[in-house]
Amino acid sequence: MADVKTQDFFAASAVSIQDPILRQALIKVGTGFDGARLAAIKDVTPDTWEAWREEARRIKVHTLDHLDYYLDLLERNVTRSGGHVHFAADAAQANDIVASIAKSGKVKIATKGKSMVSEELSLNPVLESMGIEVFETDLGEYIIQLAGETPSHLVAPALHKTKEQVAQLFKDKLGLPWLESIEDMAKAAREVLREKFLIADMGVSGANFLVAETGTLAIITNEGNGRMCTSAPRIHVGITGMEKVIPSLQDLAVFLRLLPRAATGQRISSYVTMVTGPRRETDEDGPEEFHLVIVDNGRSKMLADPELREALYCIRCGACLNICPVYKKVGGHAYGWVYPGPIGAVVSPSLTGLKQSKDLPQASSLCGACREACPVRINIPRMLLHLRNNLAEGDDSQEKASGNAERFIARGFTKLMSSSIMLHLAHRMGRILQSPLLMLPLSPLAKGKTNKDSIGSAHLPLLSRWTRSKDLPSLPPRTFHEIWQNELYRSPKRDS
Amino acid sequence: MGKEEFLASVRRSLGRGAGPPEAIYPPLEQTAEVLDGQVREMRRHLEERLPQISDRLAQVAEMQGWHVHRAVDPEEAIAAVLSIAGSLGIQNAVRTNQDVFDEIPLDIGASNWGLTITNASQNELFDRPGVRRSIIDADLGITGADYAVAETGSLVIVPRQGLSRLASLVPPVHVAIVRPQDVVETLDHVFLLRRLEYHRNGGEMGSYLNFITGPSRTADIEQTLVVGVHGPREAHMVLLG
Amino acid sequence: MTQHSTIKASLFATCIVDQIYPQVGVSTVRVLRNLGVDVDFPPDQTCCGQPLYNSGFHRGAKELAVRVLDSFQASDYVVVPSGSCAAMMRVFYLDLFHDQPDLLRRVEQMAPRTYEFSQFLVQVLGVTDTGSSFPSKATYHPSCHLLREMGVRGEPLELLSQVSNLELVDLPQAENCCGFGGSFSIKFPHISEGMLDDKISSVETSGANTLVSCDMGCLMHIGGGLSRRGISVQTRHLAQILDPDAG
Repeated sequence: MADVKTQDFFAASAVSIQDPILRQALIKVGTGFDGARLAAIKDVTPDTWEAWREEARRIKVHTLDHLDYYLDLLERNVTRSGGHVHFAADAAQANDIVASIAKSGKVKIATKGKSMVSEELSLNPVLESMGIEVFETDLGEYIIQLAGETPSHLVAPALHKTKEQVAQLFKDKLGLPWLESIEDMAKAAREVLREKFLIADMGVSGANFLVAETGTLAIITNEGNGRMCTSAPRIHVGITGMEKVIPSLQDLAVFLRLLPRAATGQRISSYVTMVTGPRRETDEDGPEEFHLVIVDNGRSKMLADPELREALYCIRCGACLNICPVYKKVGGHAYGWVYPGPIGAVVSPSLTGLKQSKDLPQASSLCGACREACPVRINIPRMLLHLRNNLAEGDDSQEKASGNAERFIARGFTKLMSSSIMLHLAHRMGRILQSPLLMLPLSPLAKGKTNKDSIGSAHLPLLSRWTRSKDLPSLPPRTFHEIWQNELYRSPKRDS
Repeated sequence: MGKEEFLASVRRSLGRGAGPPEAIYPPLEQTAEVLDGQVREMRRHLEERLPQISDRLAQVAEMQGWHVHRAVDPEEAIAAVLSIAGSLGIQNAVRTNQDVFDEIPLDIGASNWGLTITNASQNELFDRPGVRRSIIDADLGITGADYAVAETGSLVIVPRQGLSRLASLVPPVHVAIVRPQDVVETLDHVFLLRRLEYHRNGGEMGSYLNFITGPSRTADIEQTLVVGVHGPREAHMVLLG
Repeated sequence: MTQHSTIKASLFATCIVDQIYPQVGVSTVRVLRNLGVDVDFPPDQTCCGQPLYNSGFHRGAKELAVRVLDSFQASDYVVVPSGSCAAMMRVFYLDLFHDQPDLLRRVEQMAPRTYEFSQFLVQVLGVTDTGSSFPSKATYHPSCHLLREMGVRGEPLELLSQVSNLELVDLPQAENCCGFGGSFSIKFPHISEGMLDDKISSVETSGANTLVSCDMGCLMHIGGGLSRRGISVQTRHLAQILDPDAG
């Protein structure tokens, strides 16, 4: 399984938020992908968009509620079409399955289309250790493969790289001359990978959707590499999470309407490829073997939790990333595992362990923009709150991870707010303490420099985190309770 | 892990026993007869509205990056293809063995214009199993269409005997000839037709299908759109009728 | 101005208004009374429990929520000068008590009677012109819970557009979160500050001298940032703008 670095989120985000190159790239995500999504929605009208969202969600709810039935139907139909279906409980099993297919097939070279699940498994090193050359063929994935990095976005894995950085990579790793334009880089990738496509023994793809009715794997792509990987080699292996299934081919239509628009503002991607088993005897070309590897790797745990199940409706469009103010400040790598952004803040802890990933569900202001953007109406903020509850009060000793200080503060706050008298006294005491402190030099509280009615610095735990960048209001002489009691309760308009 | 064990684990997560949903999902109940009825209705609708739907197809396809050439008859269609090849200086093309080429006899006129068109299916040379030499060498791939979808401006190709997966992918330029009978209005129409095919044949609709909408693209570097990555950089649609 | 002398409403001040910004509570009461609403203030009220709920401490949040339910049991309407606290009471209490049928029933009775301040004015009283005057060039920041959980979008703007001598200007990227998020601003200050930078840029671009919102959490955060940078934009709760004694 891919390395888990979710525990480093705070430190990693503090570094990445300063990165000027990343900052520019992330600003572009807002105007680019997100802007395109909004334009696409406007184009079809919000009413139509909402109707599609509702239909898509309905399909996902139904399917996941009966996932066993549809997986069974899918398996029977893939098998009927001449394909092989393999079930993997976890990453290790999945890697073993693919390795064994590669071994039987005497595979020397493999080409890979985009598959986030294969990132979860960390499949490439496994194949490479068998002496197989593995080529990522999606341009973004190819770039990060050359760089030895992990993807920073669900749809555009290399968006954190400038074209100069890519040119340098191509020069260093491929021995190419320095390339000025992005067109030239795309052309170079085409030339380098063209040969690999045609001599590869095995093509690996992901799956956007699996159609139970017909045993079909569907991928939504733009570059043509997905078509290459599923057409030219002898063996095609599709790797997928178990949640990707939908009941009928008819259902594919609404998802084809939602996903490209939500992801990149396109009406439809350049290619939508549907694979139903290996080539038939009379076909002109196509793989002789088709394998579908269906992976659990912790998804059944999410399925079992009624609060987390809807995270499995995700169609991996990236819209939540593109609108998230947190993602657009810190970028994808800070999240420390395969899935970044709002959906990652739910999925990564759920699949790798909440305790280790405790920062992820907490690094959110709960603004709800992700839920608004999600084509399948996933209520991400609700799930973040659920995970926070597990962290604070979870039964499972593995999950409960709130610090003692935080629990102490929470208890204190509850006690304070449970007693009007205590609250009033606390306010009174705050007022008394506040005054002289604001006057003393070297005091833990000091007046604001530009605004004398405010507190400019607080050398106190927690408060200092606020005052390092913002002024704090000072406590007023009277609470509203007091003002009401002394003045307001008499209504001038009341009949008495 | 075996299938039964895997499914049992899923059932445990769902807290339910084995068995279908309480109510069968409506599309999954539809027989070939039912689908056939729907297809007839669809065909009636398409027939009535063909001119408008074709216009819409042309319009959306252009928007989606196709170069659209309208042709009223086979002669114009042939002229369009030759003119595309000519303007790009292409001398070497490959085509599929679809029956559209019986109606549009490209091969005959082509050599007069310095264009060699090889029928991929009849060319026996293989670079390696499954990858024909003629396709790799060609600068232009010419195909027909199984469907053309007005809603999205897409071509649909269903590879099979005589129709390679790679002919519309490997050469840097792709020309597709679309006839009136190929035109449908929506994505739903395409899936309806495929489902009818599937169920009518007792569960078989072929191994592969591609929706092709314009040229190959990427925005992976600096989110800047670039055309022509691993697939064709130019996509032309010759629309008859 | 319409007289609604039969409407009785209870004010839920919210802990931040009670403790730090009581003048917002005062303005709220004045506006409501001026529109003929009979306002009362159940004295046992303290906090809706949202800070605890948002940090995952449901046990504590429930204790405070029960106190709220008790305080407003007899109220015809509950008016809340805060989008996030109103959302807590209308939306999140349902989740908090989902497995406690008796309390859930009480929540279901209170929730439909609970309104955020601007929502109450426009939707219940049918008022958009309160007859107030507030000379200023003002821009409006929609707080996230008000916008997305409560679905209150146009009401504050309708109210602001009727205020005399107030020039209402657009806030660029208004719907972007300001970065407060309660404990988020303390737990992840670097990210919160980054988001605040963007919001302050937007405020400056708008050219406004007054920033209006329906949530004091947001205004404490944005105002604290404006103040530290010496930017002379004043922050006001909507109630203060609509206050007949304002200006």
